[in-house]
Amino acid sequence: MTMKKFVSLMFAITLVLSIACGKGKEASKEDEGEDDEQTTTTVASTAATTTAAAAAPAAAAVSADAATLTGLVKFEGAAPKMGAIQMSADPYCQSQHSTPATDEDVVAGPGGELANVFVYIKDIKGNFPAPSTPVVIDQKGCQYHPHVNAVMVGQPLQIKNDDATLHNVHAMPVANSQFNEGQPVQGMVSTKHLDKPEMTPFKIKCDVHGWMKSYMAVMPHPFYSVSQANGTFTISNLPPGQYTVVAWHEKYGQQEQQVTVGAKESKALNFTFKG
Amino acid sequence: MKPQEPIPHNYSISRLNLIFALSSLALVAVTGLIVGYDYIRGWKWFQLEFMRMQQERIVQEMQVAKSEENSKQLADLDAQERKNTLELAAHRDQYLTAQKALDAMEGDHYRADQDFRFAKANLDAQRYITEASVVQHRADAAQQQAEYERQSAHLADLQVRLQDVTRRRDAAKANVDQWLKKIKDAEDKKKEITASVDLLNKQLTTVDMNRFSTNWILSQPMLDFVNPVIKIDQVVLNDLSIDMNYMNVPRVDRCQTCHRAIDTPGWESKAEAARLSQELQQKLDAYQIPAEKRKETEDRIAQLKRIQENPNDTLNPWRTHPKLDLYVGSASVHPLLEYGCTVCHRGQDRATEFGRAGHTPASPKMEHRWAERTSLTAGFFPLPGDFAKRHWGYEENEFIETPMYPRHYYEAGCIKCHSAQIAVDRGDDITKATQTVELYGCYACHKINNWRFSDLRKPGPDLSGIAEKTTPQWAFRWISEPHNFRSTTRMPSFFYQRNMIDPSVVPPQERAHNIKLQDAEIHAIVSYLFDKSTHRVWQQPGAGDAGRGKQIVNTVGCMGCHIDTEQVKDEKSGQMRLAKREDFPLERNYGFNLTGVGTKTNPAWIYNWVKNPKSYYSEAPMPSLRLSDQEAADVTAFLLTLQKPAFMTTAIRPPNRQAVHDLAKGYLINTLSDRDAEEKLRTMSDHDQLVYLGQRTIEKYGCYSCHTIKGFEGLKPIGTELTVEGSKALHLFDFGFMNDEKWKNEDGVTEHVIHTVPSWVYNKLRNPRIYDDRRTKVYNDKLKMPNFHLTPEEARRIAMVVVGLTKEKVADSRMAGLDAHTRLIEEGRKRVSQHNCRACHVVDGRGRAIASTIADANFLPPDLSPEGARAQSPFLFNFLKDPTVMKIRPWLGVRMPTFHFDDHEANTLVTFFAEAGKGPQFDTTRGANASPANVKIGQQVFTMLRCAQCHGTTPVNPENPPAPNTADSTSLAPNLTLARLRLRHDWISDWIRRPNEMIPGTRMPTNFPRDAATGGFQSPLALAIDTPQFAQYKSTLLPLFNGDEKELKRTMSDAVALTDYLRDYIWSIGITQMRAASPGGDAPAMAMPQQSLPPATAPAAKSTRNQRGVPAVSGGAGR
Repeated sequence: MTMKKFVSLMFAITLVLSIACGKGKEASKEDEGEDDEQTTTTVASTAATTTAAAAAPAAAAVSADAATLTGLVKFEGAAPKMGAIQMSADPYCQSQHSTPATDEDVVAGPGGELANVFVYIKDIKGNFPAPSTPVVIDQKGCQYHPHVNAVMVGQPLQIKNDDATLHNVHAMPVANSQFNEGQPVQGMVSTKHLDKPEMTPFKIKCDVHGWMKSYMAVMPHPFYSVSQANGTFTISNLPPGQYTVVAWHEKYGQQEQQVTVGAKESKALNFTFKG
Repeated sequence: MKPQEPIPHNYSISRLNLIFALSSLALVAVTGLIVGYDYIRGWKWFQLEFMRMQQERIVQEMQVAKSEENSKQLADLDAQERKNTLELAAHRDQYLTAQKALDAMEGDHYRADQDFRFAKANLDAQRYITEASVVQHRADAAQQQAEYERQSAHLADLQVRLQDVTRRRDAAKANVDQWLKKIKDAEDKKKEITASVDLLNKQLTTVDMNRFSTNWILSQPMLDFVNPVIKIDQVVLNDLSIDMNYMNVPRVDRCQTCHRAIDTPGWESKAEAARLSQELQQKLDAYQIPAEKRKETEDRIAQLKRIQENPNDTLNPWRTHPKLDLYVGSASVHPLLEYGCTVCHRGQDRATEFGRAGHTPASPKMEHRWAERTSLTAGFFPLPGDFAKRHWGYEENEFIETPMYPRHYYEAGCIKCHSAQIAVDRGDDITKATQTVELYGCYACHKINNWRFSDLRKPGPDLSGIAEKTTPQWAFRWISEPHNFRSTTRMPSFFYQRNMIDPSVVPPQERAHNIKLQDAEIHAIVSYLFDKSTHRVWQQPGAGDAGRGKQIVNTVGCMGCHIDTEQVKDEKSGQMRLAKREDFPLERNYGFNLTGVGTKTNPAWIYNWVKNPKSYYSEAPMPSLRLSDQEAADVTAFLLTLQKPAFMTTAIRPPNRQAVHDLAKGYLINTLSDRDAEEKLRTMSDHDQLVYLGQRTIEKYGCYSCHTIKGFEGLKPIGTELTVEGSKALHLFDFGFMNDEKWKNEDGVTEHVIHTVPSWVYNKLRNPRIYDDRRTKVYNDKLKMPNFHLTPEEARRIAMVVVGLTKEKVADSRMAGLDAHTRLIEEGRKRVSQHNCRACHVVDGRGRAIASTIADANFLPPDLSPEGARAQSPFLFNFLKDPTVMKIRPWLGVRMPTFHFDDHEANTLVTFFAEAGKGPQFDTTRGANASPANVKIGQQVFTMLRCAQCHGTTPVNPENPPAPNTADSTSLAPNLTLARLRLRHDWISDWIRRPNEMIPGTRMPTNFPRDAATGGFQSPLALAIDTPQFAQYKSTLLPLFNGDEKELKRTMSDAVALTDYLRDYIWSIGITQMRAASPGGDAPAMAMPQQSLPPATAPAAKSTRNQRGVPAVSGGAGR
């Protein structure tokens, strides 16, 4: 071709090239696993929060096929004998007992029936709103009544001082925040709200009277019971299903058992603790 | 006319045309290339990408806002429309009248105003005329004066009229406004709702880079110098300069050019968002956020939650910096504009390309991704296609002077500004790292010339009296391998290390030879030490009961600084295994492990030591526990039962004569000729040769750096100075044959040496002799740094400190903690760290290692967090010097030891506590007595709250209060008569109000719990005062309040007032005299005058040369 044509062709190519070659803006969304994360960050496990935020309102009311779980907790062998509590440090406490009170570490009946065992369902899911009626612990005769108790998450806990002496309520939970409140006035009530579930009971003690202790659990559901003096416990209004049941004793640790309850069934489940 | 002939040319025009055309095309092409090369920059891609991400996010937010706006707007519009039309219609006439009135008023006002102004102007003119005529003594002066006064009066009238008219006009305006106001309000509200959408629209235009948008046009080549949208972002830091070979240049950090959102919240990674939202939520729940910031915090948490729910995670380099409140954020302590990036992260500050900036990959996987090349030109420069796949075109470049710190070494950058502090607030990694360096005593052999590592004690004990303490046989075995005796010891291993005897790196013949040489050296050292040792005679203990001794050791406080076992239960397997240092808290590694002490030393020495450590040597770190003679005897008896006989049965090879000779000659040859050296050696006995060799060997290995040894006072430390080790160039580190090699350490971990400074230091710390692998060296040239048997974590920490020690000068104004207040605190912290106070006490919120050995929490030594705010300085001074001045907690079994502080140290500590507690140095209210009425009220409150059930109120002797009955816990509270001497006046009421906040978990109950809603204190007496049980108190209190029952009631609910009364009462019952610290320390336990016994025989030097196995002289406790 002629020189002119050749030159004009070159020119045209250059022009075309300079326009066409723009900066490609492909930004692929790389969702590859990020490997330059800091290893020191602790990511809050979302598992706990999602279960808590489960919006499905489960039946808190009595459902038609509510089952009941009852049982007996026994101690195998001869239960240790509990000694008397020395209350000489505080004359008022001593005066409240005509016969000295006994230690409540192990409260066993004549046939080995174990009281103060906290029995609860470990793995039931659902949303169970807490009742607004408070749970009351009473300090009378320089002892906590009841010895083992539980409250639901958000349910008010009232601690009453019925003695004319100084008590302080020193609670040592693990998940909830600690508190230590003095109760110098007879009849005064301290109200507390515990808002984190803590299924293993924690200790509440009095710093003025070293022998006083009680145990408290914070439950996310109402399926728990404390065994009575005759060793029996009852968990009612239980929806049918398969559950793990835990029995906890302050000295002998905890045990688990699997149980399946059908609709409207009244199932029996026994626990035995060894020394 | 002749026809024009073509003009002849020297060259062909058409060819010229061709050449010109081609060359002009070429020039155009080259110009295009130049422009392109300058214009097409990698960093622009990052900015464009970020703008695109911003666009996406704004579009998202606009959708959200619009949907909100739509629903609201509809409702709004409807409501407003209806309302407006109705209102206006109903009151239209009134509105119109009002408007007309206003218009009329405006007219009046204008006229009145104008009249006033004109009159004023006339007055001013008249004033001039009057004054002129007076001055010029004109005839009409008086006339003018009268005229002036007339005009003045007229002006006053006009002003009054104007004010009146203005008032009326304003009233009319208000009248009209009330009708307009409602319409205006509705319009304002609508604007609010649309405002967010408008704002987002505006933001959208700033990040819009679509083709032919304004931004795009402005970014074209040649046009982008006008007002570039995409440009290099930098921060210039003059006072954080860079040392560039004889010149300090300002630091210019250009990292934000690519890291666009580094200081903008909202682009956190999901992990960081989760962590931060949790932290903020906790702070919200614990009321740690002030009320005015709560909404802001809640919005931020919502933003973080949205980030977590976003399907895509923001990737680097567009992420927000983690911990924005601590680093980089404008509200943080290290704002980006004042600190830049490279001060902490290192790297080449002015670079704008990935490869030049010194980025260090965190793992081989990351390095592989960075270096991968997919496009053809990736070798020259990465293309957008590479970037999109996050291949940055990385290449290992050892010529970069300051590469960035790799991950896990980030906090190394803290040291250059924080070297004047013991603990860096919220810098846990670097704090632990400097503590590790302090614990192992690296500073003793390696000088580090900054405040943090100066004025620290020598890590090892004084060896001047070694013969009094132990035997040569024990010493030999100990030096050979300390860990055979004590698995948790910090003494490193000098001998029989990898480069001497490891079969995988040393050939067998050389190995045998090395063993002989090493034996000889150890024998020599022992000979020297025992030859030069003193031989003081210590008093023998009386009869002691080991059982009682064990009890004393476990209660009196020994377990805070000492460990007494070598066997621990492995967590994973449940089996018992040998203990390691990290099985115990840092503080319990301060004193040595007590296992085997009976084998090591003798009864007289132990007895003297536990009674009075400082008599052995004055810098002994162990304090005196004020043991009585019987107690000391019991403890001695117990410690003697801690035997390790197996240690003393291992064979000691006698020194090889030839080896000793050769080594000694090797040293003598430096100053003498070969013949003279031989001559000299012939004249020396075996023992003398050993002593001479010992002196040279101690000099060679630098034992005197950690131990005080006679004859080596004042020598410089043996190790390399580390003050600027982090700035040492990479090529100056001797990698030997170990560059890019894997090697297996004695603890089974395989390490990988890569060609970077942190890697060199880390591997050196793991096993200091690895760089001798496969090298041929003369014996004396071999590496001699001892092996500390550090775990990977410890080695990493120490390496972090080393790479952080750089030569970069930071201006004093930028150094942290140079103000007077912090200096006092840091000096005190150094003392606290050196004397190991945290073994027993909580200081600065952590410590109390002894807690794991005391079962009952009631019997723990006190938490000193509030000590500065709590204790009076004179009391604290006397107490620290002599704890017997006051026994404030007589129920404790643990004793506060006597440290024999001199005045300077005691003052440093007292000042530290006072400054840290933010209390004044001296409590000015010390002498004050409250009014008797206050005291009486306080006494009543005291009785009502039943404080006496736990606290005694009868005066006691502070030095010797009655022993408490520890069986019942009521007597475990301090006697309140001692408060006046010990506690600060105003602190007492603060404590009573909130003990749980000052010392969480304390036994002191909270009598005034906080109201969850208001944060104020509630009082139990508010309601109680009206009950019949409290009637007697009420009747006693009423006269003190002058019969004002309302005032009484109000006081009973005022926690602050009640606690003040209590404080007044406690102050009034306090005793006012206490003994000052008694000067001088304990008397030394030596009963006999000092005698010198003949020097202890060196091991096996006298025993027969060829004897093997157990040497003739038996070591151990019998001596």
